[in-house]
Amino acid sequence: MAAGTTSYVSRERVPLPPPTAKVSTIVCEYCPVGCGYKVYTWPVGTEGGRRAHENALGVDYPTEMLSGKWVSPTMYNQVSIGGRQHHIVILPDGDAQAVNLGGTHSVRGGTIAQKVYNPATPTADRLTTPMLRVGGSLLPIAWDLATDLVAELSQYVIQTYGELAWGMKRYSYQFFENTYAITKLAYGKVGSPNHAPHHAPAMGSDTPGLSDAGMDPFPAAFEDFKEADVVMVSGSDPYETKTVLFTTWIAVGGAKIVYVDPRKTFTARYAETRGGLHLQIHPGTDTALYNAIARVIIENGWEDQGFIAAHTASRAELDQETKWRRRLMGMTFNELRAYLTGDPRFTPEGAEAITGVPAAEIRQAAELIARPVDGQRPKVVFAFEKGLYWTHNHENTASYANLAILTGSTGEVGRALTRFGGHQRGNADAAPYPLDKSPHEYQGNKIEMDTDRWTVEGNTRLMWVIGTNWVGAMAGSQFLKDRLRELVLSGPQVTSLDRAAILQTLKSRIDLGGMVLVFQDIYLNDTSEFADIVLPAATWGEEDFTRANLERRLRLYQKFMDPPGEARPDWKIVAEVAQKMGYVGFDWPDANAIFEESAAVMVGKRMDYKALVDEAQARGTRAHAFLGSFGTTGVQLPVRRENGALGETPRLHADKRFKTASGKANFVKGDWDTVEARNLIYAPQGDELWVLNGRVNVYWNNLFDFKRRPYTFQRFPMNFLEINQADATQRGIESGDLVSVTNRAVRNHLGGASMGYFTAVAYVTDQVPPGATFAYFHFPGSHANSVVPADTTLQPLNLRYSFKLGKGRVARLGTSQLKDTMSFVPRNVV
Amino acid sequence: MGQDETPEGRKAEAETPALEQEAGPSTGGGQSRRDFLRSALIGAGGAGLGLASGGLLARYLAPEEMPAETESFPRMRVARLDEFVENQPLEFRYPLEHPHDDAFAIRLGKPAFGGVGPDGDIVAFNGTCTHMGCPLRGSYKADHKILGPCPCHFSTFDLSRRGIVVLGQATEALPQVILEVEGGVVYATGVSRLIYGFRNNLRDAPPVGR
Repeated sequence: MAAGTTSYVSRERVPLPPPTAKVSTIVCEYCPVGCGYKVYTWPVGTEGGRRAHENALGVDYPTEMLSGKWVSPTMYNQVSIGGRQHHIVILPDGDAQAVNLGGTHSVRGGTIAQKVYNPATPTADRLTTPMLRVGGSLLPIAWDLATDLVAELSQYVIQTYGELAWGMKRYSYQFFENTYAITKLAYGKVGSPNHAPHHAPAMGSDTPGLSDAGMDPFPAAFEDFKEADVVMVSGSDPYETKTVLFTTWIAVGGAKIVYVDPRKTFTARYAETRGGLHLQIHPGTDTALYNAIARVIIENGWEDQGFIAAHTASRAELDQETKWRRRLMGMTFNELRAYLTGDPRFTPEGAEAITGVPAAEIRQAAELIARPVDGQRPKVVFAFEKGLYWTHNHENTASYANLAILTGSTGEVGRALTRFGGHQRGNADAAPYPLDKSPHEYQGNKIEMDTDRWTVEGNTRLMWVIGTNWVGAMAGSQFLKDRLRELVLSGPQVTSLDRAAILQTLKSRIDLGGMVLVFQDIYLNDTSEFADIVLPAATWGEEDFTRANLERRLRLYQKFMDPPGEARPDWKIVAEVAQKMGYVGFDWPDANAIFEESAAVMVGKRMDYKALVDEAQARGTRAHAFLGSFGTTGVQLPVRRENGALGETPRLHADKRFKTASGKANFVKGDWDTVEARNLIYAPQGDELWVLNGRVNVYWNNLFDFKRRPYTFQRFPMNFLEINQADATQRGIESGDLVSVTNRAVRNHLGGASMGYFTAVAYVTDQVPPGATFAYFHFPGSHANSVVPADTTLQPLNLRYSFKLGKGRVARLGTSQLKDTMSFVPRNVV
Repeated sequence: MGQDETPEGRKAEAETPALEQEAGPSTGGGQSRRDFLRSALIGAGGAGLGLASGGLLARYLAPEEMPAETESFPRMRVARLDEFVENQPLEFRYPLEHPHDDAFAIRLGKPAFGGVGPDGDIVAFNGTCTHMGCPLRGSYKADHKILGPCPCHFSTFDLSRRGIVVLGQATEALPQVILEVEGGVVYATGVSRLIYGFRNNLRDAPPVGR
């Protein structure tokens, strides 16, 4: 009678760290909130006792409710340190003075002890040695040969085909030390614009509307979410994906939430049951909604006239803008008013017809965010993430930014316009991106190149992929995989371990128009199927690193264990290749030396930590060590030196200065006509459904850790497809069925039509409306990205995909093995 | 914690074991120590719970110094099969005499993993959230056989699927109390998974029934 289950069997006891345990501080690796953690390590053979003085946690066991000191079984593991087996406990910092006060945590960070390399766990397949594909298989080789090959092939490609043939696809966030080393080589030495971050086909701003407005996308302090009267949220569920920002700052502060999402998620229901609103929008119609809300504000005179008069640009100032897109898209207040009030589609009723959001709710939203109460303007934080900017990139971010400017929501406690972010911030550009060399432009203006398009066109001869699953990520698409199969796997293949023969084979492939792929990561993934050379990286906890969270809080991530096998930190791998290519300036003794050097290029930027490095030098200490003295609290960037101490910056734009030529904020046109034309291409036809995608509470990014974490992986052992009961019934689908999602005409990188498909387990739920489905955005082997448009010429102002707007036919394939074991109850019960 | 080790503290523990032996609907007349604590917790509410637990409550909740009082789970009578009413939790304490060991048995009306009784639908779980220890009592949703969301950080657990987290932040599924039926009576015989606050389900507090 009883249902079976794919059971994860957990530990039923945990050893406590003894008072002698070594304590390191670190920050969770995953979401942009960046909770502080303490790492306790001690040799096996001892353990602490239940009394406070008998353990390193300083509390009696059993711990009290909300103690922040309970070691759950998933917070415990064993690791090798100095070749000796150690116990390890990675505990949310119960003494945290910032971010995760009281040691609260999400399920992602809370289980991070399961990330660390322990060959007795599913982490056993960490990459531990360089490898070369020989005869179709990846064989271990020595580091010296591996870096020789990368250096010589790089030089060959650059000399023979030019630097644009030498590409890099890499994470943007995985620590300042690594990204500085990478960009020192790629921008500073090679000078190639064929370079893109993990999440996009091109460098450049992800939020061009904010960029044109002069608004920094990460200006807020977490305190602002607590102090706000209203938090407006677009295109992200903060409970699921920015958990501690939601639980510790938004929920505790009690702000009303105006939540915009096609899905009725937990936060949507939380909002509507606590005085807020869920604006359940049709996919892809945000611009019309925000234009309509702006119009209601203006027609009622609720805009912040003082702010607008003093701090927004005039027509003359817009004409003086140094950036072409600002001249093109920037607007004065009067121009915005004329645009919005002159178009009946931006009345609440007009917008209701487009967006599906009732006109009354559009008016209510405008009231909540803008109508003064007793002469006081409501304090509003406008937050957003990829549901907004990965649908209609420029128009959505422009129209959303306009709401913040109209209401003067910037630079004050409780008032901000901010991204939520998808990860923490760890990018340090050692040199400027070589924009002048980009082959892509808009109306004669250079624009950061689309490296994916460039590659599928056959122009990239060597691609070095660092820390990302290129073909599984974002608009990797079936078409990109098909092209890599032709470019990498179908040309001459290595069949020898002789250095000269290897080089001859790979150069001949390059000369025949093919490509060599170098893959550098901690695990194999979908992209390594195409790798010629694999380089094993050391990661979080295996090297001292630095990074900032979404409120610009910089902290040291201390090394606490050895990397597995011969794995090396990315900066060290890049430095060795660079030196073999004949470049100087890559002889750093350690990560601290890079951090200190990198400070010079951060001056004047959002993440300026030069003062911290200067202050450390004045005190005769290493910058990493000095930062480490701030523990899990860290310092909020940018920092400046003030009387022998560091002055921090809780929020940006406090001086009401903006990142434009005039120093004033610009309104930006949220061009609905362009969106409407694009939506005709994106919208489902016939029996197709929208196939939206996004994150889910228990996972982060491409599951490189989480598919190796049995506790969390039991929740969704395969990708899922949320589907409304009405759509499910029509197709004979029940929860637990295996379904296929097929799009026979995916708009590919070259504007053509390609096949795209994936399979998933059906999750029938009212969380999605009729006509729309939702899948995890980045599930290994089940790529929701394969049904999304990848043609960046549709967004020529900034080369981005409309990654969230997939579509396809959904069909039942049969019953999945998960039907009787996975939980299919609603995830949005409040 | 010094104050908690006074003889008075221990006396408070010792005076109430009988109340904890038999589970049943909490509709009785007198207010047990546990009921008192429960109302104090509910009064403190949501995120403010931590403040209460450090002061007044700590005096009552202090565990005894009993490092290895028992090596195996006690076998404890929960209730007769015919006392179960669908979707009505029966509360009991198990396996230790400690507030985190608040457990409940329930007939879900739907077959469940680990379920006992004629329909395999009677299960029992610990009722302390495995995220940060807040009480889940009173949050059962009969429509979906779930417990939650937790008042502190909103974790929800699926009682028909071994207490796994539906949505939420708990880093362990809800500990399930292992049940057996003998002669029409349901007995608790063990606990699967670690209970919040403990390093071992059988240590650091006295077992029930002592």
